[in-house]
Amino acid sequence: MTAPPVGQISPSPGEDPAKRRRERWAIGIVAFLVAFLTIFEAHLAAVGGAVAFSSNIVIFALINLNVIFVVLLIFLVTRNVFKILLDRRRNLLGAKLRSRLVLIFICFSLIPTMLLFIAATSITTTSIKSWIGGRVGQALTGALEIAQDRLEAEARALSPVAESAAAGLTAIVDASSFPRVLESARSLAPAGTALLFFEKDAEVARDGEVSPAVREEVLKRIKAMKGDGAGKETLIGDEFAAAWRRTPGGVIVVAVRSLPPAEAARIREIARAYDEYHQVRLLDDPIRASYVGILILITLLIVFAASWMGIYLARQITVPVQLLAEGTEEVARGNLDVSLDYRSRDEFGTLVASFNRMTADLKAMKGNLEETNASLTQTYDELRRRTQFIETILHSISTGVIVIDRHGRIAMINKVAERLLRIPTDGALGRMYRDVLREEHYEAIRDLYREAGETAKGQVERQVELVVGEKRIAFRVSLTALHDDAGEYMGLVAAFDDLSQAMRLQRVLAWREVARRIAHDIRNPLTPIQLSTERMSRKYAAAHAEDPAFAECTQAILSEVNTLKNLVDEFTRFARMPVPRRVEGDLREEIRTVVDTYRTSHPGIRWEYRQEGPPRVWFDPFQIRRAVTNLLDNAAAALGERGSVAVTCTHDETARKARIEVADDGPGIPSGDRDRLFEPYFSRREGGTGLGLAIVSAIANDHGGTVRMRDNTPRGSVFEMEFPTGPPLERNIGSTAPGIDDGRTGS
Amino acid sequence: MPQGVEVRVLITIFTLSLMTLLPGSSLARPPAPEIAEVSGTIRGGEARVHFTLRNAFTPEMVEALKSGIEITFKTTVEVERVYRNWFNRTMGAVEYTRSVRYDALSRVYRLHRDDGDELLPDVLAALDRMTRFEVVVPVTGGVEKGKRYRARVYARLDKVGLTEPLRSIFFFSSLWDVETDWARGDLKTP
Repeated sequence: MTAPPVGQISPSPGEDPAKRRRERWAIGIVAFLVAFLTIFEAHLAAVGGAVAFSSNIVIFALINLNVIFVVLLIFLVTRNVFKILLDRRRNLLGAKLRSRLVLIFICFSLIPTMLLFIAATSITTTSIKSWIGGRVGQALTGALEIAQDRLEAEARALSPVAESAAAGLTAIVDASSFPRVLESARSLAPAGTALLFFEKDAEVARDGEVSPAVREEVLKRIKAMKGDGAGKETLIGDEFAAAWRRTPGGVIVVAVRSLPPAEAARIREIARAYDEYHQVRLLDDPIRASYVGILILITLLIVFAASWMGIYLARQITVPVQLLAEGTEEVARGNLDVSLDYRSRDEFGTLVASFNRMTADLKAMKGNLEETNASLTQTYDELRRRTQFIETILHSISTGVIVIDRHGRIAMINKVAERLLRIPTDGALGRMYRDVLREEHYEAIRDLYREAGETAKGQVERQVELVVGEKRIAFRVSLTALHDDAGEYMGLVAAFDDLSQAMRLQRVLAWREVARRIAHDIRNPLTPIQLSTERMSRKYAAAHAEDPAFAECTQAILSEVNTLKNLVDEFTRFARMPVPRRVEGDLREEIRTVVDTYRTSHPGIRWEYRQEGPPRVWFDPFQIRRAVTNLLDNAAAALGERGSVAVTCTHDETARKARIEVADDGPGIPSGDRDRLFEPYFSRREGGTGLGLAIVSAIANDHGGTVRMRDNTPRGSVFEMEFPTGPPLERNIGSTAPGIDDGRTGS
Repeated sequence: MPQGVEVRVLITIFTLSLMTLLPGSSLARPPAPEIAEVSGTIRGGEARVHFTLRNAFTPEMVEALKSGIEITFKTTVEVERVYRNWFNRTMGAVEYTRSVRYDALSRVYRLHRDDGDELLPDVLAALDRMTRFEVVVPVTGGVEKGKRYRARVYARLDKVGLTEPLRSIFFFSSLWDVETDWARGDLKTP
């Protein structure tokens, strides 16, 4: 048996279709053989001449074969019925419908067949009884007796002839007188009468024509009556009548007359009917039993044939329905590879073929949809990649960008714009920009949009000061109206650059220049002043020994000159920050060394240090150590020898950046001071030069990184310094630019 | 229900149904027929065997005979040389058929034998002729005086002649089934 292809549903899973076809063929062939053998045996019985079961082996074998076939037919049909009942009990799909149809077919065949059987049995019985019990027998007996009387009369009419011939033959003296005897007898005989003379069971003379069969029959009959037939001297047969006499000499004289053929046939027919009637009367019960048996056999055959037909028709209906149900179930489960194995030229075949075509079309459509979906997914992925790329660009640039569509909804906004304009990060996309932006900002954009509309390129760039939070921040706003190829308005793009950072950088650079000039202009006169003061002190100290003011003044001058020299040195260092010389080293150990130094020098403060990331990165050890020193120095100054400082050194493997955090639980930094925190000469400490955080910012900047400040929780402040850790050659050129995050970020 | 049990139940139902439904012998069986009085002589190239068929005609068969039904018996007669310590040797065998039918018109019984026909005036004569047999069996081999020879006889009802309609009706059933056992009788040698 060949296994069906995957996805192919065949009738009755588990049942071989070839086996079912073989069974169907077997039933058909058996039914045909039963019918054929029945007809053939009936024909044999008609021509056989006798019922001879014991001797006629062929007929006996055929009948047994027929019975076997009948049994086989009944077995096959009953097996199918039994199987249907089992299927119904197993709740197989379609079994209930099939059993119902079979039951209907059987009922439709059984009821009329049984009625017909009862009627036929009754009619047969009644007919036989009426035939054998009525006047048919009397009529037939009467007919036979009439025929016999007719023949007897004929025979008696011949008796004088035989008597005359016998008497003449007895009185005859020589052979020459025999013709006279015959003539005398013939004168008494009716026409067609023949005279036969037998002696010693042999015919010795004959006068007249008579068939040999009649002559032989007459002789046998006379011989049969030798013993006790002396008194009866007439003979009748179905084709003759005769009278005979025995002479004293032992010669038997027979006068016989053959009947006309038509009359003889009628008499034979009467005799045959008489025999048949008596046979029927004798075999009344067996005949009726035989009829009933035959009727039962025929009824059974009809019932089982109808049952099989019912099964067959039910299968014709239920199999495709069952297949369709199973196929639909498979399709509902999403299996479009399903194919129904059913071929027929009827409507069910068309339906199944349509179903197969439908599933094939669905499969093709699904394939197309999947291809389209794959293409759309690919396109979508490409679009998303591009969008992500654009968003990445937008998020990586320091410019805030807002894209507004033609309906005034925000189509795109980057984090910088949200941060710069303090826009809520959630829910901005898709909303009207006038609902998202502050009214002042909205009006500014509206003004710029109107202004852009008046330009030829639809683009305008202006420096605008906007209030963000509690501060006024200078922005360079670039607004561009977007149009498609057809010139239709598509929206606008607004770009915001925070100019405060640039301005701050300009201030830093200016301060560096100032510091350089101050250092140059102040350092030069300080040495002559110091030398002159020292000379004056040496030369005139003795002269003014009694005047303490002289010594105090010269000493004050020298002290202030030293102070100025230190100040100039700081200025010089700030103004001449060397280019960092980054080498590969252990950043964590460098920071640990600084922290340990402060742990020793400031025992009142609890110093914590946590480190993560690879041990070796690229940095300038001297500058980083200095930056960390400045941060720890500020923290220690803010705590006043009491509190805790947590230093964390981490590394972002993805971004390849090192982050150094210094968190203290001191009083923190007021928000008003944060903007100028990293500017030179801004100090909140008495005696501070205001260059510590500026130098930290400069170092971070020179390393391509940033430094920012935020509030610590629950109190204090956190300074974060972040810079790339790659080798110098990989350093991004752009990283030399200040990393500006917000107003609290120094560079 | 397992498949094997299902098949067995099905076969059982079929068997019982068939035993109930199939037509069996619709008439009662007659008393056991037998061959009796087997005797005879053997000489030269033939054996003359006499025997009687008993209980061959039941009352129903006699009535059937009177009703014009032709009844035929076929007998088989074998002659064998009997050896005491060896297998018997069949010397000859013959099948002999005899039938009888009543002619209602002529009021005679017509007896048909392989060796000739005979008309009998009444049923008793007909039954007598139908049950008493004298069969000549040609034998091969010499007959030795003083040796033992034996005849084996077997008879059975061969045909029941019915009229045409009844012949078809009783095609699927047997009216009577008459068959004897083999009977044996010694033959006299000259």
